[in-house]
Amino acid sequence: MAYQVSVFLENKIGHLERVTAVLKEHQINIRTMNLTHTANGWGILNLVVSDPEKAVGKLGEKGLSAALREIVVMKMSDQPGGLDQLLQQVASANVNFTNAYGRVEQEGELAFFVIDTDDVDNAKEKLTACGISILNDSDIYGGVK
Amino acid sequence: MTSIYWEPELETLSRNDLQKLQVERLKKTLGFAGESSFYKSKLQECGISADDIKCVEDIRKLPFTTKQDLRDHFPYGFLSLDKKEIIRLHSSSGTTGNPTVIYHNRHDIASWANLMARSLYTAGVRDTDVFQNICGYGLFTGGLGFQYGIERLGCLSIPAGAGNSLRQIKLMQDYGTTVAHAIPSYLGRLYEVFESMNLDPAKDTKLHTLVIGAEPHTDEQRRRIEDMYGVKAYNSFGLSEMNGPGVAFECTYQDGLHIWEDAYIVEIVDPETLEPVPDGEVGELVMTTLDRQANPLIRYRTRDLTRIIPGDCACGRSHRRLDRITGRSDDMFIIKGCNVFPMQIEKVLLKVPEVGSDYLITLDRQNDNDEMIVEVEVKKDWFRGDITRLDKLTKQITHQIRDEVLAKPIVKLVEPGAIPKTEGKAVRVKDLRKRS
Repeated sequence: MAYQVSVFLENKIGHLERVTAVLKEHQINIRTMNLTHTANGWGILNLVVSDPEKAVGKLGEKGLSAALREIVVMKMSDQPGGLDQLLQQVASANVNFTNAYGRVEQEGELAFFVIDTDDVDNAKEKLTACGISILNDSDIYGGVK
Repeated sequence: MTSIYWEPELETLSRNDLQKLQVERLKKTLGFAGESSFYKSKLQECGISADDIKCVEDIRKLPFTTKQDLRDHFPYGFLSLDKKEIIRLHSSSGTTGNPTVIYHNRHDIASWANLMARSLYTAGVRDTDVFQNICGYGLFTGGLGFQYGIERLGCLSIPAGAGNSLRQIKLMQDYGTTVAHAIPSYLGRLYEVFESMNLDPAKDTKLHTLVIGAEPHTDEQRRRIEDMYGVKAYNSFGLSEMNGPGVAFECTYQDGLHIWEDAYIVEIVDPETLEPVPDGEVGELVMTTLDRQANPLIRYRTRDLTRIIPGDCACGRSHRRLDRITGRSDDMFIIKGCNVFPMQIEKVLLKVPEVGSDYLITLDRQNDNDEMIVEVEVKKDWFRGDITRLDKLTKQITHQIRDEVLAKPIVKLVEPGAIPKTEGKAVRVKDLRKRS
């Protein structure tokens, strides 16, 4: 099971840096991230990191609201049309998601795409059945060797 | 020429005669009060009877009454008459304890209606006017209190109720409303609706007078409302324990609110020592009813801070003038016409496990509207990283607070620890509304 680290943040100067400082202090590597914002003055920072459990623990110690949130990470080709091809397959698998972001893993070759969806197990099953390859945890956290 | 006074003799009574009338009515009031279980024992305790009252100052021999007394002796401890004599009650929501309830017999309702009519007449309202009361009806005194006064005065009344701006504007246009009563912040919102319809209330309505009250506002805010609508806006003061509206009202000179001293004895006291302060100095307003039979109140501590404006008014009325209310001697605040205790907000938040019980209420004026901003911390242990859930939580808290205090807050989620913690009594309310 793969996790992102989600952090509740007010949209204020210096607040994002509070998170990155903690990760730096504990030598946790950020693999990819995304930041959502609401009209109510706050947002959620989503991070894929080298050690999500440690990250949540250390952020919590600093008083931040951080949580592990299960994600599905899929492979796609780092070429024009790569994401389009993947999304066609995701749609045919009838999987909906609320948030998504990506990362280039090997320039011109391999990228990965992170989605936040309600029923992760069910989604994984449907996506695999449509020929999508799901990354394993060590590849997500440590890179594809 | 018609008189500028509703009751010329009473309104211009010499101070001496007014005080004589007060003494006479205070004695009567003590008679009624002695029939209630609360005052019966209270008066026996202090050993003062009507015979000991020789001048108005003798009222200081009598004990104070507090809101807590009203709550502790709920529901009938203050009732002076047999229940069959009572025709109406008004009450607070009672969410922070027992409700504060006031009972009225026929005499009390007629007396209140007359004071309300006198108040409106003082502000220049006449029986030829069409009066739209933009105010909640029901247990809240602003609806029926004004209604009876408007009818007593003889205007054509439109009991419009609160809210629904489009309908308010349509009523104004259909019936040619000349006077309207509303809380000041609502008139700001209503003006925006006029603007969005490309209407100018100064030209496109027949309004000539507005009556504003039930929420603290500055003179600057009043002047802005007057500019928006191109009319005079008069300040109204009342509190449910003293009937409701019609306690004190501005005359056309707009220089303080004449408090009707034939119906109330007014004292301004130091809230710490409870000793009287001289006219002109700010203190807590203490009031005694002089013309209420079912539910008299003696030396009731209103918790409102204000002062008596020294000197005579150019209008010729001998009843002294209250200045605007400058604050409270307890932690209650008023927003959008609703009385709110921070405790009520706390009660709602305690039932929402996702947020901590620390909160900060900020009262601010934004584009002429008073807003109540409630900041709450998203608890670490409950946070799941789900944006939809937090959005739902915001809406849920907004609705629950609204149901509790009747005013809609702006709920802001903040990070844990974002709300400053203070030793001892926490600062829960920050009032940024400018008070003049």
